[in-house]
Amino acid sequence: MSTIVERSGRPEPEAVDDIVRMLTRDYGERAVVNRAIREQHAHGEGMADSGLPDVVVLPHSNVEVAAIVRQCHVARIPVIAFGVGTSLEGHVAAVYGGVCVDLTQMNRLLEVNAEDLDCRVQAGVTREQLNADLKGTGLFFPIDPGANATIGGMTSTRASGTNAVRYGTMRENVLGLTVVTADGSIVRTGGRARKSSAGYDLTRLFIGSEGTLGIITEIQLRLYGIPEAISAAVCQFPDLKSAVDTVIIAMQVGIPVARIELLDDVQMDACIRYSKLDKYEAKPTLFFEFHGTDAAVREQAESMQSIAAEHGGSAFEWATKPEERSRLWKARHNAYYAALALSPGRQAFATDACVPISRLTECVLATRADVEASGLTAPIVGHVGDGNFHLVVLFNPNDPLEREKAESLAQKVSMRAIAMGGTCTGEHGIGMHKLDALVAEHGNAVELMKTLKRALDPRNILNPGKTVPLANS
Amino acid sequence: MADQALAALQDRIRAAAAAMQPLVICGGGTKTFYGEACVGERVETTTVAGIVAYAPNELVITARGGTLLAEIELAMAEHQQYLAFEPPRFAAGGTLGGAIATGLSGPRRPYAGAARDFVLGLRIVDGTGEALTFGGRVMKNVAGFDVSRLQTGALGTLGVITEVSLKCLPQSKAEATVVQACAVDESIRRVNVWGGKPLPLSATCYWNGRLWVRLSGAESAVSAAMQSIGGDRIEHAQEFWESVRDHAHPFFVAAQREDKALWRLSVKSTAPHADLEGEQLIEWGGALRWLVTAKDADRAPIRVWAKSSGGHATLFRGGNRSGVFTPLDATIATLHKRLKATFDPHGIVNRGRLYADF
Repeated sequence: MSTIVERSGRPEPEAVDDIVRMLTRDYGERAVVNRAIREQHAHGEGMADSGLPDVVVLPHSNVEVAAIVRQCHVARIPVIAFGVGTSLEGHVAAVYGGVCVDLTQMNRLLEVNAEDLDCRVQAGVTREQLNADLKGTGLFFPIDPGANATIGGMTSTRASGTNAVRYGTMRENVLGLTVVTADGSIVRTGGRARKSSAGYDLTRLFIGSEGTLGIITEIQLRLYGIPEAISAAVCQFPDLKSAVDTVIIAMQVGIPVARIELLDDVQMDACIRYSKLDKYEAKPTLFFEFHGTDAAVREQAESMQSIAAEHGGSAFEWATKPEERSRLWKARHNAYYAALALSPGRQAFATDACVPISRLTECVLATRADVEASGLTAPIVGHVGDGNFHLVVLFNPNDPLEREKAESLAQKVSMRAIAMGGTCTGEHGIGMHKLDALVAEHGNAVELMKTLKRALDPRNILNPGKTVPLANS
Repeated sequence: MADQALAALQDRIRAAAAAMQPLVICGGGTKTFYGEACVGERVETTTVAGIVAYAPNELVITARGGTLLAEIELAMAEHQQYLAFEPPRFAAGGTLGGAIATGLSGPRRPYAGAARDFVLGLRIVDGTGEALTFGGRVMKNVAGFDVSRLQTGALGTLGVITEVSLKCLPQSKAEATVVQACAVDESIRRVNVWGGKPLPLSATCYWNGRLWVRLSGAESAVSAAMQSIGGDRIEHAQEFWESVRDHAHPFFVAAQREDKALWRLSVKSTAPHADLEGEQLIEWGGALRWLVTAKDADRAPIRVWAKSSGGHATLFRGGNRSGVFTPLDATIATLHKRLKATFDPHGIVNRGRLYADF
């Protein structure tokens, strides 16, 4: 059920009319008030709460973003940065109305420095576009959240993906930023150097701040040489514990696996049907990928295979040709759609949590039991090397009871993860759906985060109501 | 008892905040030469010490800020694990809190990651005496602002670090170091070319006409890489890299003479060799240039070169301890002051250690 939240009396309607008039005057067709377009910008993916912005504006440059934010600052109007709307926790909903800054027309690859292994992009470049643009340089950008998100959105949510164990997350791969701050100033943090700035690490502070501390407009990224050899393999296990234990041992002996993904039996069943992976069974399954020289890849794969065999894993099913590999990973990336297809007519939202890896089996099994008790369908996939897993909850949006059950299931996952010494989110972020969990996890530190928010955005105009909502918003 | 020690530390900071009494935070006192000179009453953090949790199968260690780095490294070594950012140990007695507050990393940094990349979460006592927890003990955490990374390298100006959780890595199966004679420009070219290839590099050092390269990884990968890059394998390589890491190498020993100053130039790795007065040693695949100058050498050309090479220059050790870090531009400086006021509204903890005015 898609509830559009209208502005709740704040800001003043006259102020909103003024800003819409000004933006329309300054940006012409790039300032859109058409309701259908605004509705597209009212929500991300996931649980369908939304908030309608009063206007969507599509800037072309840092200077234009700065000018828009400055106008909003003066008029105290909310301003929400928007990429392609694939965030999962209600990050982009304009809950108090205001100006949605759609950055997708800022989609240029500004520079590639092949020798320094870095590049600079505008925030609206998507990860797939970046890798397409890098073709021919011998380089690639590894971070791959499920969706074809923008680099700006991925930076703002501190995204990661299937190969974080080997390449890290956005946090480790952003070298510097251009950010428009709450008063409309343009600042550059970090730079080309590895230890990149004097003073506080502002780059890391803006990464993952969900548009609440500034609008990220340009990103300097670290790139990697495309490995000489890549091979992927699939291994099936009699039970979840065996699969997880295999990974724990592999991490401990330091096999530099590029990707290790866990699919539980329910998810594997969904993927077999959706992506026609006929040769597999609906059992807990690990997908692996190895990167390196020919010799290194062979060695890693052999070590991995022997650890898996000790834990009852099946013989590795190999995918060495690029097309076989991409079919396999496409099946993994389509896990969400495969889950949806399990129950036509239902919607899905994904929730994530991260626990110490030694508690992962226990956490996933307890979650499985909760799912069964709820009567809902909710497959589990995991970036298992990190102890991070996702639950894709299917629910009928027109059935309030089912929606409530789905929400309560997500809540349970968060609280269990925190109780096990983990976090309510390892990847998706807080947005507006995990505000309570953030308090449960961080206690009085949330108050300090609020003070920090006030210090950097005293008028509370930047994506208000998210991450650490302030009382006056 | 660590908890009593923590409570005492909180009381001390609360009292100082009430009295507006500046405090100088001191762990093992092994890096007091670094940063700006700052004044205040000395607060020892070594009382808040001890390993809190270490689960080798989790690859995570949690310890109090005052714990000796040596104690942590020893505990990890028993399980063939280590701190891959190789925090420098300029003298015995360095603490974990000090390592994270300075945020300094050793030779492995460009290949394994920096101190901040290994910090999973931490606890601080802020400038009002409040104890706060940020991040966690798991590999990924995106709940709220990344304050753990903000604290890393803040030199204690945003609070006292009382506990840190770090990612541990298993030690490499094999390690080898080769040395090649070459000219400086050629060495910069080589390390950058290698950096783009799937070679198991783990450190580089160029000094006095020779290039040392360390390789770490699986046996086969290391021996294949040795073949591919060439050079003579050296014995006692560990001593060599520790001397670079801990500034016990002759280059750094000479830099510590009374009449000398040591500069740390962090630049893009492909920056051509700097034509600056003084001897240089190059680490991090070209990204870190150490420069020894006369104590009162002109700072301007050094800062200009670092800036034009995509980075910045720090007067790391010696010389006049005022204005040692690259000056901040006005907007960035404003953000810094707001962050300082957020964590330390009375301006009492390590005031002026990073920049004189906050």
